[in-house]
Amino acid sequence: MSTVSVRYIVTDIDAAIDFYTTLLGFEAQMRPNDLFATLVRGDLRLVLVRPTGPSGPAGGGAPMPDGRMQEPGGWNRFSIEVPGLAATVAELRQSGARFRNDVVTGVGGKQIIVEDPSGNPVELFEPILPEARLSQPSPSPGQPGR
Amino acid sequence: VTPDPLEVLRLPVVPVEPRTEFATSLLRRLHREQPPAAAGGATVRYFVADLDAAVAFYCDDLGFEQELRPSPAFAMLYHGDLRLLLSVPGRAHALPDGTLPDPGGWNRILVQVPDLEATVEALRGRGARFRHDIVAGVGVRQALLEDPSGNPVELFEPLAAYHEREPPRPR
Repeated sequence: MSTVSVRYIVTDIDAAIDFYTTLLGFEAQMRPNDLFATLVRGDLRLVLVRPTGPSGPAGGGAPMPDGRMQEPGGWNRFSIEVPGLAATVAELRQSGARFRNDVVTGVGGKQIIVEDPSGNPVELFEPILPEARLSQPSPSPGQPGR
Repeated sequence: VTPDPLEVLRLPVVPVEPRTEFATSLLRRLHREQPPAAAGGATVRYFVADLDAAVAFYCDDLGFEQELRPSPAFAMLYHGDLRLLLSVPGRAHALPDGTLPDPGGWNRILVQVPDLEATVEALRGRGARFRHDIVAGVGVRQALLEDPSGNPVELFEPLAAYHEREPPRPR
């Protein structure tokens, strides 16, 4: 059941679908054309959209009224919890995935930032404190890696 | 007067500021029939330049609830099953070459609102900036809002016909 939607801008829909489904455990939900796709992982619905020019269809990938095109990248990201971060990182590296940094140990857990094929960040998180678990908001929450 | 010999055992009194909004939101979540714990939830991190301004924006203007704010550089908010982490960029976030994250970009959370026009108008009245006004997408109408640090937030309202074809999943 997905109740939270996040939109990521990607330059290649199929490369993105491949990355998120093969390496990060997402399931493809729909891909009506090569401009748009949705993927699901738990409660997260990831909406992938390829930027379109002024003559393209209206919608999530359209340019701004001032002409600015949307593009991948930036720092804002969703975070997914993985049980064994070191193993996941090794596996991803093996598959040729790029990382922005190395594993950082914060207050609540260990984390690293992997990039999708378009250069969008995804935060991988392994909780150390049980309170920091992303999938279990707790009555006395700890601090996930800040 | 003889001093109470047990006085030394007493713990120091630490003043605690009551935070009723925290207790209220906690109770609400605990009492929900299907709490986020069962559903899993999703977590997104946004970088912000001004934490106070960001928390006020998300809580006062968009209906988020503050869960935790342990430091001047970090806050955790909730909106339904979305857990939004707000971080002020600092050394902990720096890349090995020293690069610090910054707000902005185009990747964004989507927030469903019941009446997009009214929401946009109300937000404009409070001085909110939009990257674009209401446009029609596939099955939805949407507007692209900016938080005080310039992070995008997509507001959307499903079109009635879309609803009929594919009812929203129960939350």
